[in-house]
Amino acid sequence: MSQFAQQVVLGLLLGGVYIAVALGFSLVWGILNIVNLAHGALVIVGSYITWDLFARLHIDPFLSLPIDALALFVIGYALQRGVINRVIRAPLLFTFLLTFGINLVIVSLLLLIFTADFRSVTPSYSGSGLHLGSVIIPYIRLGGLAVALVLASVLWAILNRTRTGAAILAVGADRDAAQLVGVDLRHIYALTFAIGAAFAGVAGGIISTFQSITPTAGDPYTLQAFAVVILGGLGRVSATIAGGLAFGLIEVLGQSAPGLGAGYANAIAFVVLVAVLVVRPRGLLGRLA
Amino acid sequence: MRGARLGAFAAGLSVLLAACGTSNAGTAPSTGSPIIFGAAVSLTGSQSKEGGLTKQGYDLWLDWINARGGILTNNVKHPVQIIYEDDQSNANLSATLVEKLITVEKAQFILGPYGSSATASDAIVVEKDGIPMVEANGAAQSIFSHGYKYTFGVLSPANKYLTGVLDMAATLSPKPTTIAMLSANDNFSLEVAKAVTDYAPSQGMQVVFNKSYPAAAPDVSGLISQAKAANPDIVMNSGHLAEAIAINKAAKQLGLTAKIFAYSVGPSTPDFISALGPDANYVYDGSQWTPQVKYKPSFYLSVSDYVKAYEAKYNSTEPPDYHVAESTAGCLAFEKAIENAGSLDPVKVRDALAALDVMTFFGEIKFDSRGINTFKPMVVEQIQNGTHYTVFPADVANGKPQYPTPSWSSR
Repeated sequence: MSQFAQQVVLGLLLGGVYIAVALGFSLVWGILNIVNLAHGALVIVGSYITWDLFARLHIDPFLSLPIDALALFVIGYALQRGVINRVIRAPLLFTFLLTFGINLVIVSLLLLIFTADFRSVTPSYSGSGLHLGSVIIPYIRLGGLAVALVLASVLWAILNRTRTGAAILAVGADRDAAQLVGVDLRHIYALTFAIGAAFAGVAGGIISTFQSITPTAGDPYTLQAFAVVILGGLGRVSATIAGGLAFGLIEVLGQSAPGLGAGYANAIAFVVLVAVLVVRPRGLLGRLA
Repeated sequence: MRGARLGAFAAGLSVLLAACGTSNAGTAPSTGSPIIFGAAVSLTGSQSKEGGLTKQGYDLWLDWINARGGILTNNVKHPVQIIYEDDQSNANLSATLVEKLITVEKAQFILGPYGSSATASDAIVVEKDGIPMVEANGAAQSIFSHGYKYTFGVLSPANKYLTGVLDMAATLSPKPTTIAMLSANDNFSLEVAKAVTDYAPSQGMQVVFNKSYPAAAPDVSGLISQAKAANPDIVMNSGHLAEAIAINKAAKQLGLTAKIFAYSVGPSTPDFISALGPDANYVYDGSQWTPQVKYKPSFYLSVSDYVKAYEAKYNSTEPPDYHVAESTAGCLAFEKAIENAGSLDPVKVRDALAALDVMTFFGEIKFDSRGINTFKPMVVEQIQNGTHYTVFPADVANGKPQYPTPSWSSR
C-alpha cells in the first residue's frame, strides 16, 4: 500500500515537471496556432543557464529561475518577431519545418558552446526529502511541482486579469477581429511566444536539478508537452494542469504494473492518449473548438 | 658515392619488389606506398564526446607508427593515413560514409565507428566490399551474430560488462545475494542485463528485481522506488551515463541503500564524478581498461608510457578514458595483422586478423570464430574519494573494494 502511495506521489511530482514544460507549449499552440518543435530546445537553454550560474557562481538553481525566464523571454521575443512571424499565416507544415530547423540550430549552438558533456546541478539538499511515514517526497521534486503550479497561476492571472492577457486571448480567438479593434498583432504574437519561451526556460531550470543535461536532452520534452496538451485539452491553464498530472501518473503507475517494465510506460501513456482522443477529442478539460 | 647510388638502387628495387608482392630481405627497410585507413566517427551530435575520444585513440597510434616510418611488411615501411568522416552521431549515416570511404577515398582498411548501432550497419558494408574492419566501440554481440567474416572487435563483449562485478561480489563478506537490475531497452544494455541474470545463480546470487526502461529516460524515480521495495543487496544499471547519474540521484532522494551500486556505463567518465560530487563515491563499474592495469605488452607502449603519451599529445591532466585505449587497440590489431600477413591484400589481412594473438597495453587481443575478443577480461573500478581505483581482478588491481557501501545518511 505504501508502495502504491509512493508511486502516486512520484507520479504527481513528475506531473509537475510536465505542467511546467507544457504551459508555454500550450499557450503558443493555442494562440499562435504554432506547434513549436523547438520548445524542448528552449527548455534546455534554460537548463544550461541554471547550470552555468550554479557551476560558476554557486547560485541556487531555484533562485536562478527568474533569470532563466528573463533570458528566454528576450530570446523568445526576438525569435518570433524576427523569424517565426514570417510564416505565421502560412500552412501548418511551414511552421513545422521552421521550428524544426530552429530546434536544430539551437541544439547545435548548445553543442558548440557547452560540448556534449553531461552537466548536472546538484545542490546540497538534492538528496534529502520529506518523510511521511514510509513515503518519501524529495524536496527538489516538490519544489519543481510548486514552481509549476506558481507558473500556472501566473499564466492564468496574465490571461484573465490583464489587458495584455485579454489581447492575447482575443488574438487567439480571431486575429483579424483583434486587429480591427486596435490590437498590435505583431507585438502580441511576439509577446505570447516570449511568455511561452520564458516558461520553457523555468521548466528547464527545474529539469536540470534532477536530470543530467546535454544539448539534445530537450527532444523528449517536446513530445511530452505535445502529449500533455492533447491529453488535457488546448486553450485552458487548468487543462494543462490536469493533463500534466494525469500524464505523470500514467507514466509512473504504468511502469509499476506487474509484468511491465518502464519500456511500456510510454506505450501505455500513448494508448491512453489515443483513447482520450477517441472518447473525448477535446481532451480532459479542453474547450470545444 | 658508389655506395650511396647502390643504396638508392636497392631501395628502388625493394619498392618495386614490394609492389609486386614478393619478398625481399636483408637490407634496411624502404618506404612503400601509404596505407589508407578510413574511419567514420561521431565528431558532431549527441555522441561527439565518445566519437572524439575514439578519434584521439586512433590519432595517438597514427603519430606513433608514422614516427617509426609506418607499418612494416616484407622490409617495406608503409606510412599510414587515416581519412575521417563525421557520422553526426547518426548510425544510418555511418554506413553511407563507410561506403564512400571505400569507393571514393579508396580506403584499404576500416577502423570502426563509435557505438554498437553504427558498427552493426558498417559491418554490412565492409562484408559486401570485402574490406576488413577492426572496431573498438561496439560491444553488442548481436553485431557478430550474422556470420560476418570481415568485422573484428577488440573489446570485451557486452555480456562481460557486469559479470566481473558479480565475481568480485562473491569474494566479499558479508556476501551479497540479491540483485536489482535496471536496464535500458537497447540491444547492448539488454545483453548486459541478460548476462547478469544468467550468470548470477552460478555465484549464489539471484536477480530479484529486473525492469527495463526506454533509453535516455528522463525520470527513473518510479523505478527506483519499486527497486527499493525489493530490498536488494546489489543495485545494477545497464544503460548509459545520463541514466546512471539519474539513478544515483534518485537512489539518494528515495533512500535506496544497497551494499553495492554498479553501473555498466558512466562511472568511468570524469563527467560522472563532476556531476555527482561526493555522491559518486563507492560506485562500481565494469571497464574495458583502466590506466592502472598491469598487462605486459609484446609491442607498442607499456601502460604507463601510453598514459604519458596521451597526456603529452592532448595536453591533458586526466589519464585516457577506456574509449581512447580500446580505439588505439583496434589500430594495434591492424598493425600486427598487416605485419603478419606481409601483405596489404584484404583477404590475407583478414586471415591474419582471424589468427591474431598478441598481448598489448590494452590486454590480450585474440578473436573467437565470430570475431569477438572474448579473451580479454573486464576490470572492475570503484570511485573512492573522487578517484577511480581498479579493484578487481586482484592481479591487475591498485586498490581494494570499499565494502559495504555506507547508507546515504552516514556518508
